[in-house]
Formats: sequence, C-alpha cells, structure tokens
Amino acid sequence: MQLIIRDLLPLYFDKDKTRLSDIWGKNIAFNKGERIKIVAPSGSGKTSLIHFLYGMRKEYSGSIGYDDKSIAGFSAEDFATYRKDHISVVFQDLRLFPEQTVMQNLEIKRQLNPYHPKEKITEMAQRLGIGDKLSSRSRICSYGEQQRVAIIRSLLQPFDILLLDEPFSHLDNNNSEKAMTLMLEEAALRNATIIFADLERIDYYPYTQLYHL
Amino acid sequence: MAVSFQPIRPLLQTGTNTVSRWFSYIGLGIGVLLLLCSIQMYVNIQQLLKEGSIRKNGFDFVSITKSVTNQTMGQPEKNLFHQPDIDELKSQPFIDGVAPLVPNDFRVKLSAGDVLPFSTDMFLETLENDFIDTIPPSFTWREGQPSIPIILSSDFFEIYNVFAPGQGLPQVSKETAMGIPVQITAEGNGRQEIFYAKIVAFSDRVNSVLVPKAFLDWANKSFGTKKYVEASRLFIKVKDANNPDLLRFLDSKNYKLNKDKTLLGRNKMVIQGIFTGLGIFGLLVVLLALMLFSFYLQLVIARSKDSLHLLLMLGYSPSWLGRNVSRRFIPVYISIIVVTLAVVQLMQWSFHHFVMYDRPELSSFIHWGVIATGVVLVALSMVTNYRLVRRMLGRLGEAG
Repeated sequence: MQLIIRDLLPLYFDKDKTRLSDIWGKNIAFNKGERIKIVAPSGSGKTSLIHFLYGMRKEYSGSIGYDDKSIAGFSAEDFATYRKDHISVVFQDLRLFPEQTVMQNLEIKRQLNPYHPKEKITEMAQRLGIGDKLSSRSRICSYGEQQRVAIIRSLLQPFDILLLDEPFSHLDNNNSEKAMTLMLEEAALRNATIIFADLERIDYYPYTQLYHL
Repeated sequence: MAVSFQPIRPLLQTGTNTVSRWFSYIGLGIGVLLLLCSIQMYVNIQQLLKEGSIRKNGFDFVSITKSVTNQTMGQPEKNLFHQPDIDELKSQPFIDGVAPLVPNDFRVKLSAGDVLPFSTDMFLETLENDFIDTIPPSFTWREGQPSIPIILSSDFFEIYNVFAPGQGLPQVSKETAMGIPVQITAEGNGRQEIFYAKIVAFSDRVNSVLVPKAFLDWANKSFGTKKYVEASRLFIKVKDANNPDLLRFLDSKNYKLNKDKTLLGRNKMVIQGIFTGLGIFGLLVVLLALMLFSFYLQLVIARSKDSLHLLLMLGYSPSWLGRNVSRRFIPVYISIIVVTLAVVQLMQWSFHHFVMYDRPELSSFIHWGVIATGVVLVALSMVTNYRLVRRMLGRLGEAG
C-alpha cells in the first residue's frame, strides 16, 4: 500500500513552516516496505502528523491518500476497516484501557483481526520483558511497561503501514532496541512500511528515508 | 472468526445508575400497560356492542313515520310517504340518505310447517341493503328461487319468546330459530304460492320482517293490485340523530322519529372516546419512558466515552459497537413487554370471568392486535436505541 501526502499543513501552522520542513507543504509518496524516519523537535507537529495519517484529526489543509483513495471521503466505517486491516499505530500517549489487565488489553485488539495466535502474545511479552505483567491491570504498570504493551498491541493485527509516535519515550536503550528488533521483524513479515517519528535519530533503526519535520 | 463482545462489556459503565435505570423500566412498563389495556378494552367494546349498534360507517340510521292523529286516522294515504315527501327529505343538508320500508301488497300467511303448530297472518317489508345493519351474503333472491331469506327484528323475536309459553308454544334460541324452515304463503290477485323461508340474520336496527328487495318487488307485482306501493315508514341516514336542525324539521312536518335505538350508538361512542383518550395517554407515557431510557443510554455512553473512543481508534466498527451496545437492552425490552402482556392477559381473563360472566361475545384471551402492538413496540425501541447509540458513536469517532 502506498501512502501519499499532498501539500499537507496543519491549519494552526503558518505557511512559512513549509520552507524548512521536508514534510509540511510537500508532495511525498511513502512506498511499500520503506522504513521512514521522521526527525522532529518538540512542537514541530509530530503527533499532529501521526494523528492526521491515522485519520483521528482533520484540522489540516492538503490531502492524505492511501493508494490514491483520499481519506477525506472516508466514513467512520471505512476508518474502522483500515485500522483493523491496514494501518497500525503506537500512540505517544499509549492509550490503554486502565482497568483491564495487560492480557485483556492485547486480546481486545487481537480478536478484531487476529494475525497471530493468542500464544504469540505471551511470547512477545516475554521477549520485551513484561511476561510477568500479563495479568496485572494496566493502570498499575509503569510507563515503560505500558509502552511495551502498546507496542505489542500494534503488532497483533495485519498491517501495511505501521505508524510510530515516539514509541520509546519511556524506555531505556536496551529495551528500546529489543522492541525495535521485534517491530522490524513483524513489519518484514508483512512487507509493511514503517513511519517512525521521533525527537532524534536512533542508531538501531535502519531507515531507508530520512525526513526532517 | 467473529469478534466477541465479551471483553468489551466491562468497558461500558452502567453500574451506578441503578435507580434511574429502574425508573425507566417501570415507567416504560406502566406506559405499555396503559396502551395495551386501552387497545384490549377498545376491542372488547367493539365486540360487546357489535350486535347492538345502529351506527354504521359513522352514520345514525333511524326510522320515521307520520304521526297518526285523530284527523288522519282511517285515511292511509295521509299516513303514507309519497315521492315528494321523500324528495323533500333527501334535499335537507343534514340527511345523507332516505330509504322507504316498502310493505307487501298481498296477503301473507306464515306457518312453521310440521315443526311448530303455529300459523299467523303477517307482513313483509323490504329496505335497501345499505340501511340494514346485518346483511349476510345469503340475503338475495332471484325469480324462481323457492326459498326466501329473512332478516327478523331482534325485538320481534324477543316478544315471541315472551308470549310463547302463554300460547303453548316453545321458546327458542336465535340459533334454533335460524334453523327452522317456515312456510310463507303469498296470496292475492287470484293466485297463491308457497315459499320456504329461513331466518338468516337478526336486526337490532329495523323493527320489521325484511325480505330481499328483488323478492318483494316481484311479489307485489305478481300478487298485488296496486301499481305503486307506498311506505308508511322511512329510514333516514344522518350524521347525528340528535341534530337540532333535523329534529326541528321533523317536528315541523309532523314526522315521528324512532329515537331510542340511537342511544346505544351514542353510549358506544362515548366509551370508545374514553378508551381512545386513555390509549393516547398511554402512548404519551410510553414516549416519555422511551425518552427517559434514551437519556439513560446517553449517560452510559457519556460515562464510557473514553473506552468507546479508544475502541473506535483500535479499529472497532461503529455499527458493530452500536449493535452490541443496544443489543444489551433487548432482554430488558422483551421482559417488559412479556410481563405487561401477561398482566393484560390476566386482566382480560378477570374482566371476562368476573365482570362479564363469560359472555360469549368476548374472549378470555387478549386480542392478537394487542400482542402485535407489543411486538411493534419492542422493534421500535430497538431501532431507535440502535440509531441513537450509532449516532453518538459516530460523533465520538469524529473527535480526535
């Protein structure tokens, strides 16, 4: 699946933002299997971009299209289908169900369109070091643990594009690297595009394209 | 694999509004009960007063005669209605139709054959079918047909049963009377012919012995002497038999109105009006309860807003969520309707048994229309609920 943005700019940004940005106000196509790195300092609109691409917010000018289908014409049902089958995301603010256990949080996502069997949840959790947290309520997990839950959750469905919004903000280098390796493996399995937005470059992400926001 | 709602259910916060939820349930129950009861009573009244009604299609049918006074006594032509009289009546704005009760112009003798030792001179009349309250399909006659269908006045029939024992005759039920073939001998113009007649219906409206118009026209021509038979009684069709203009007009012409038969029709109208009012009130209560219920539903959704929003962000379809959230209330609706139907059934049985002493016109069971209304109510509530939840989820999905 190809992701195409044309002349994209948040409504609350000035036009001159486009001068210095590789993304805002430009026409770009992200192709299948590419690993995109978007480096963006605070306040440059990183989270806005991810939310626009995921169809959560509409305060922008320009257009976003998946395989030439503009998301401006998507209904709530269309978005549901895309989020279930084609696009996965790790939110910066994690967004877990606080009163549910880690396992329940993951199962709620997995049952929608299972790419992996249920046993894979345990395996992934163990790989990322939260194997013993599966039956804990997510609200009592640390931010670092919650972030790993959010990462695993994004890998339980089929996807063509994986959107990452500062996915390692609460993780140390060692854990970040483990999580990155897992995400790269899963993306490779699906021949999917990764769009990874972060404050700075990281060494263990072998990007194919680099953009500054 | 089908997506299960089970892990989603705990995300909906419903627990703390128990009181308001039960208020909605009870309100809905009372409203539905009022509505269904009114429908059932409406049906009961229809069935009870079906026989006694002189109203048909919203009209009163009443008979008028010319008042017989000392001056007109013995001068039949002065007590008969002539064509100009009928035309004048027809032209009045408050009269919607006029039909003469045409009598026989020959001698008629009735006997019960071998069944009852009973024979009497009698009269026959005919009236346009539109003016008769009970017309069975068999009420027709064609030349050459040996049997004649008769519609007998219920009052005449009762009078017979009152006098029968004194005359050494047996009392008979309506059903039996309809099974007895009687012989009618028509005599006049030097001819005599015997017909077999059978009572096919009883009329509460027309105090007469009615035969099909085709028969009497033929018989008057065959056995009668007059060219043209005039009626002493007319039936008029009016919107309201108590219309002052009508009464004033009839008084001025010295016509007498046979009015007691309109009373039952009036009573039925009043009772029906009361139950229609009660039904409308019930409908309003149902509407109010449904509104209360929708507020409760909105509260549930507002309280679970964050969870529902996250589910939508994870890729749950709004229509799937809407269907499942509103489906949770189906058992509630069905229970309310089933309990209400059971109560209405119990009330109907008690009403039939204890108040109406098992009268055959009524049934101990509720009318199918009441059950159908219940089913329609369940369907309606489910559809409105689904649409409400779906709309609210749609709004949630648009918010970032």
